[in-house]
Amino acid sequence: MRDHLRVLESRFGIPAEVFEQFATRAEQETVFIGTREALQFDEVRPLRRGIRLLRIFPRSIKPTTWAMQLFGRYARRNLIDVTAEQAAELINGSQIRIDADVEDGFVLIRWQRYVVGVGLYHRPVLKSHIPRNRPVD
Amino acid sequence: MVGRASLTGVVRLSRRFPREFITRYGQFIPDFDSFLDAMCRPLKRTIRVNTIKATREEVCELLADAGLEPLPWCDIAFSVNNGAGLGRRLAHFLGLFYIQEAASMVPPLVLGPRPGERVLDIAAAPGSKTTQMAAMMENTGLLIANDPSPQRIRGLIGNIDRAGCLNVAVCRMGGVSLAKLIAGSCDRVLVDAPCSSEGTIRKSNEALARWSVRAIERFSRLQQGLICAGFQALRPGGMMVYSTCTVAPEENEGVVAHLLSRHPDAEVVEVELPGLVTRPALTEWSGTVFPEGVSRCRRILPQDNDTEAFFVALIKKRDERPPQGS
Repeated sequence: MRDHLRVLESRFGIPAEVFEQFATRAEQETVFIGTREALQFDEVRPLRRGIRLLRIFPRSIKPTTWAMQLFGRYARRNLIDVTAEQAAELINGSQIRIDADVEDGFVLIRWQRYVVGVGLYHRPVLKSHIPRNRPVD
Repeated sequence: MVGRASLTGVVRLSRRFPREFITRYGQFIPDFDSFLDAMCRPLKRTIRVNTIKATREEVCELLADAGLEPLPWCDIAFSVNNGAGLGRRLAHFLGLFYIQEAASMVPPLVLGPRPGERVLDIAAAPGSKTTQMAAMMENTGLLIANDPSPQRIRGLIGNIDRAGCLNVAVCRMGGVSLAKLIAGSCDRVLVDAPCSSEGTIRKSNEALARWSVRAIERFSRLQQGLICAGFQALRPGGMMVYSTCTVAPEENEGVVAHLLSRHPDAEVVEVELPGLVTRPALTEWSGTVFPEGVSRCRRILPQDNDTEAFFVALIKKRDERPPQGS
């Protein structure tokens, strides 16, 4: 599990210590994060404990939008700043063209000081990986 | 309760409601014409700052054009004068605020969950009160959010994600079965029970369209099971809130009376929420006199705070164990 958190550190500069006060738990290809009490709750079989932190793919790791909205504030690298209009386009499922000083691959999309979600960058195209169930004007 | 001078107004307003509704509630709801008048007015939208992700100041700044007015009884909640498109704003997507009816914020405020505690929300979907309690607990401890409905649980999980609640475990079980498995373990329990939703008539006509005394009786039986289940999940000394968004005494005072009659260690505690106007609960209904403690429950009427109608009861499980070391 620590290896996955190190990927978040190496890719985005989110210090692994940020996650120390929480527990993580892998279920198949998904790693969940939550309080220790929530993740260890096993008196019944909960449908879910905590929130999804990341998905594990064969050759990469993708953090989730909802987790990055919380922990992305600690990120120092591979962040792309967007306007409100660009953020809305990405949330609504479009891709945008943007020239950013980041590495290709998964990036965090930031509006003002808030991380909006996760995208996939192949210069100059930024493709949204944000869940599309909540459209924005 | 209906004054002669206001009779014409009541007749005009009452055309919207079933005759039996008027007969039942005209008997005991104070200022009944004001009640009907308020029930016919559209409900103002209200929001709550999600303190897991944002401060009050940040949200005020981001929604500066929305005409926010603070609610007098909750420092992180606002009514919104210009609420159009609120749910499609970027700040909403970011989970910085939650659109939640003002009266629906009351049960968690009365329950007062604290950081590090174990809390059960026995009928949690769609999650407004769950996310409110998770924030009150400062995203620590354990909040068990349960709902038996597969459709509604999807919305619950979506709201937990957006609000960033790390302390929530979601269960999809019958409340009674769940309570048996975690009996005596919770510091606090919220039983915001499924109900006939008469209080939501300001928001939608749905509750009025399916209103019937039979439905009220059916809900009452379900609620009696849930309040006892919630109480079973409490540890000795723990606190529980029972709430509904309905005015029917069978679903409110009658349900609390049911709990008190079966659990001598249950005690109704006075509810205090400065700035919120509340009314006393009924002491009797339809020939049944309720136990003395029921009078400490509170009713929230739409004309008093410009909200939906609500009912709230704060219940303590007395710790009858001998003190340790004695």
